[in-house]
Amino acid sequence: MAAPKDTMFRSADMSLTQLYIANEIGREVVSALGELGVMDFRDLNSETTAFQRTFTQEIRRLDNVERQLRYFHSQMDKASIPMRSIYDFNNPFTSPSASEIDELADKSQSLENRISSLNESYETLKKREVELTEWRWVLREAGGFFDRARGQTEEIRHSMDNDDAPLLRDVEHQPQHGEAAADRSFSVMNIGFVAGVIPRERIAAFERILWRTLRGNLYMNQSEIPEPIINPETNEEVSKNVFIIFAHGKEIIAKIRKISESLGADLYSVDENSELRRDQIREVNTRLSDLASVLQNTKQTLDAELTAISRSLAAWMVIIKKEKAVYQTLNKFSYDHQRKTLIAEAWAPTNSLGMIKSTLQDVNDRAGLSVPTIVNQIKTTKTPPTYFKTNKFTLAFQTIIDAYGTIKYREVNPGLPTIVTFPFLFAVMFGDFGHGTILLLAALAMIYYEKPLSRGKLDELFSMIFYGRYIVLMMGIFSMYTGLIYCDAFSKELALFPSMWKWQNNGVGPNADRVEGYVYPFGLDWRWHDTDNDLLFSNSYKMKLSILLGWAHMTFSLGWSLVNARYFATPIDIWGNFVPGMIFFQSIFGYLGFSIVYKWFIDWPARGQDPPSLLNMLIYMFLQPGTLENPDAPLYKGQATVQVILLLLAVCCVPILLFLKPFYLRYEHNKARALGYRGIGENTRVAHALDDDDENQTLNGGRDSFGSDGDGAAMITQGIESGEHEEFEFSEVMIHQIIHTIEFCLNCVSHTASYLRLWALSLAHQRLSIVLWDMTMNIAFGISGFLGVIAIVVIFYFWFALTVFVLCVMEGTSAMLHSLRLHWVEAMSKHFMGDGIPFEPFSFKILLEEEPIE
Amino acid sequence: MANGWSLVIGLIVIVVFCGVSWCAAPKGENQTVWRSTLILSAVACFLMWAITFLAQWHPLIQPIRNDLRPEHTPSHRAY
Repeated sequence: MAAPKDTMFRSADMSLTQLYIANEIGREVVSALGELGVMDFRDLNSETTAFQRTFTQEIRRLDNVERQLRYFHSQMDKASIPMRSIYDFNNPFTSPSASEIDELADKSQSLENRISSLNESYETLKKREVELTEWRWVLREAGGFFDRARGQTEEIRHSMDNDDAPLLRDVEHQPQHGEAAADRSFSVMNIGFVAGVIPRERIAAFERILWRTLRGNLYMNQSEIPEPIINPETNEEVSKNVFIIFAHGKEIIAKIRKISESLGADLYSVDENSELRRDQIREVNTRLSDLASVLQNTKQTLDAELTAISRSLAAWMVIIKKEKAVYQTLNKFSYDHQRKTLIAEAWAPTNSLGMIKSTLQDVNDRAGLSVPTIVNQIKTTKTPPTYFKTNKFTLAFQTIIDAYGTIKYREVNPGLPTIVTFPFLFAVMFGDFGHGTILLLAALAMIYYEKPLSRGKLDELFSMIFYGRYIVLMMGIFSMYTGLIYCDAFSKELALFPSMWKWQNNGVGPNADRVEGYVYPFGLDWRWHDTDNDLLFSNSYKMKLSILLGWAHMTFSLGWSLVNARYFATPIDIWGNFVPGMIFFQSIFGYLGFSIVYKWFIDWPARGQDPPSLLNMLIYMFLQPGTLENPDAPLYKGQATVQVILLLLAVCCVPILLFLKPFYLRYEHNKARALGYRGIGENTRVAHALDDDDENQTLNGGRDSFGSDGDGAAMITQGIESGEHEEFEFSEVMIHQIIHTIEFCLNCVSHTASYLRLWALSLAHQRLSIVLWDMTMNIAFGISGFLGVIAIVVIFYFWFALTVFVLCVMEGTSAMLHSLRLHWVEAMSKHFMGDGIPFEPFSFKILLEEEPIE
Repeated sequence: MANGWSLVIGLIVIVVFCGVSWCAAPKGENQTVWRSTLILSAVACFLMWAITFLAQWHPLIQPIRNDLRPEHTPSHRAY
């Protein structure tokens, strides 16, 4: 079956295919199809959980490998070793054989062991080093403490005799009084001490707790360590203090030890004797230097190992990711135990079937298997998924439409005209030659540097603009065009042709005369710039422009509903929806458009007549049909009669729109009933549900189940394209149609008014750029002399920056959103059906795009 | 130079352009995109130009200049 060529106009023709794959080459086949990326596999085991599926074991194993690779990656990040970029590989995408995967798994396992043991020893050594450093600090600081404390034994003793001494301390110290007086040495005074290191932020709490628990019965000394200590586990810097606490009594010392340990302090042994202390310091220093060299070696080995891994890590990650995806897809297949084959069902574009078959043949030949892989096309009643083959130019435009809703299978794709209408309506609002040039240049730059930009990491806003670079390109081109039409370049006029106006009084004015028989040939006459009444003229022009463009856009969109109705062979949609809708719309708003153009056509001053106001004409047409605002001066002869006829036409269309379709559908339904037909969905729902999961489902199979119902009623296979059959319910259809009618009629009014945003935004954009010019450059031009030169340079940059950021980026965003709305609401409501199923092919390319390996 | 016939001439030019783009669009899988983009762009641009032209064909108001202050000499902007 030769399918028509796939275009952007309709979604690609899809076929449900069934593959019979020999079990031995299942992996290779799926991997080859993943490279091809055109098959959307259906899940044939949806009732089994993830754990019960055939290839869960393999996936677990690959998960483990993936975890190991991630571990390497995190270790590399920690050691700040860069990973070789994925783009530096010549061809990382060759599909590896199963044994290569096994090899890779073993390799990563052994590497993980090695790295983690290296890491472990490195961390232990690092911890040891920190401990030694802390000890060294304690030893260094303790010397000072001891000296000071020795000097204070005198003071301690004095305080015990003093009546003004704190009460608590006094009481506590009282019993040892006699003893303490005897000797000044610590040991003789029975004073012990605890030395250690504690994080600085805990020191206050530490002191308070000690004071309270020991009732002030201690002598504490502390000092800050000037350099921060690095915690080897978290790699964080912590600033710490050295402390030494003197107290007497073994129990109290033990208590202090407990308290300090519970507060996270590390205690170190320090000798009281200064000689011994000096020895200790010396010993610690030698140990530290030994440790440093060992650490250095370990670090070097680790880095060398990681660097070796970094060279191929990206490729391994890609391979494992693909392999995992292959097994996940294989899990969707059902397995025929008797014939030892895997059975798969997948949607694929009909045009790609040839390619799929040849790919499968290739895989078969390479494996040297005599049993070929069989590809069957199945006829089905299921709705095929919607698939558009896009390229980098059309992708962003299609995304605009897809963001609103998935297009129904084979429906007219609004994305195709959007390529032009979206940037064009944007440009009508954004029209300025200068700003358009900036957009165009930006887009060209993004397209020129496409490759490096798409590989680099972009921030969110910029990556969005980059994604839509071709939209920006079209926007820029059209904005330049509309800028020429509006005769605006950075709010200044562009005098391309001689003006059609000549100032009176030999070029002084203030009034102007028309140059006889000459119309300004392209765009607005530049003489309107900076006149008293340019807003009067341009507002009238731009409003009418918006209405006419809106009318054209909506008529165009409404036309697609005719194309859709003809394609899906539903004539009732033509006669019940399209025709009355079109007549309704044209007899009111088509007439308005006609009047606008007609009024422009007539040379009113030459007739010596004042033209009638169109706004009042439209109001009178509805409020007092048959009468005119000014019956003596009609727009044309017979205006009143024409308007009555048009109004009657519009009114007549409403009941047709309302009732024709539902009643016709009821008539059809009743006729079929009377002949003994029944809808498929009504009595074969059970059979249908079974079919859904039956992997051998064919049209014949389906027919069998229909026949086996056995009540003699023949089945109509009407609507075979749609998988789900709804029972006919008149009330539902009627309500649906009422809503549609009300919506359509009201929307004709509100949507036409909605296009006036084209005028409003273009007015705002133009005024804003004029204001910006007047507030910056105009002032700069007014300053004379040397200061003026500087002012012009400075203000120019200021003006340019504001032009780019306010007028181009901000105004551009707002105009873009308005254009988006005009497409989603005003245009697409006229014909868009939606409710399609997106096509999600199993493709390695998409997989790697979604989860990039950076 | 430019009068009412410009509209007709413009229309003919656009119709010819559309015909040519329909036939001359590069063959291949992007033919539809080429055709629709070229023709729609031409039609949209023509519409906009024609509307602007029509609006100025028989203007009902004339520009009144607002830069006539004593400091402006008559020679200023005397084109």
